[in-house]
Amino acid sequence: MADLHSDQHVSCQEVVELVSDYLEGALTPDEAALFEQHLNFCDGCDWYVDQLRTTIATVGRIEQEEVPPAMRQKLLTAFRDRGRS
Amino acid sequence: MTGAEVAGRDAAADEAELLARLRAGDEDAFEALVARHYGTMLAVAQTYVKGRATAEEVVQETWLAVIQGLDRFEGRASLKTWILSILVNKAKTRGVREARSVPFAALAGEDDAPAVAPERFRGADDAFPGHWRAYPGNWSADTVVGDRETIRAAMGAIAALPPVQQTVIRMRDVEGYSSEEVCAALDVSEANQRVLLHRARSRVRAVLEEHLDG
Repeated sequence: MADLHSDQHVSCQEVVELVSDYLEGALTPDEAALFEQHLNFCDGCDWYVDQLRTTIATVGRIEQEEVPPAMRQKLLTAFRDRGRS
Repeated sequence: MTGAEVAGRDAAADEAELLARLRAGDEDAFEALVARHYGTMLAVAQTYVKGRATAEEVVQETWLAVIQGLDRFEGRASLKTWILSILVNKAKTRGVREARSVPFAALAGEDDAPAVAPERFRGADDAFPGHWRAYPGNWSADTVVGDRETIRAAMGAIAALPPVQQTVIRMRDVEGYSSEEVCAALDVSEANQRVLLHRARSRVRAVLEEHLDG
C-alpha cells in the first residue's frame, strides 16, 4: 500500500490505496490528518471515499447464505437428542 | 435482516442469555444461531478445504461438536469465536491447505492490481501528477444502497474475488465480524487482513462503478 510522502502531500492516486487504512483507523494521527486535509480540498477523493462507504453499506445488505434443509434438519435432530444422550 | 444488522445487536449481555437458552434446549435459538453463522463458517471452511461439499461437511461436523460441547463451554471467548475455533480445527484436520504454510502472496491471490486503474490519474509529466483526470461519480445523491440490482452486482463481484478475499469481505462487511475475529479464523496478521479487505472492497467498488456509472 502507498506510503505517505515526507513532503506532506498525498496524491489522489495514493488516497485510493490508503482509504482502507483510513477507514480501519490504521493511519497514524498525522497521516489521518493529511488524508482528511486532502479530502477537504478534493471533491474527487471525497466522492471516492463516499463510494467506498456506499460499497461497504451495499455489501452489508447482502442476504446471508441459507442453511441447506438437510443439514438444518440433521443439526436440529442432534440438538434435540442432546439432552437425552 | 442482514448479518451486519444482527451482529450490531450482538452485545455481550445477550450472549449469556443465548447460552442459557441453548443449554435449556431452545430450538429457535439454536436454529437462529446456525443460520446466522452459516455463511461465514462455510466461507472460512472453504479457505482451508477444497470444494463446497467438503466445506459443508466441516460446518456440519462443527455444529455437532458445538452441540456436544455446549455444557463445557466456559465463556472465556465469545460463543462465535469458540465456534469458529472448532471449525478451523476441524477444517485443518481435513489436511488440505497444508495448515496455512502457504505464503501470504499466494493466499491473497496473485493480483496486486491497484484499487483504481493508473490511467485514470494524471501522469508524472503533468503539472498535478497522481491527480484524477476525471472525478469519480458522486454517489451520495443516489439511493444506490438498497437497490436490488446493485446488491446483486456486489454479490457477483464478491463471487469473482480470490477465495480468501471473499471470506474477509464476507466476514467483515456481510456478517459484521471484527478484524480480530477474521485474523483468528484465517490465521493472518492484522496488516494482511487489511490488505485483503482493501483489495476486496476496492474491487467491489470498481464493479459497482461500472454497474452504476457505466
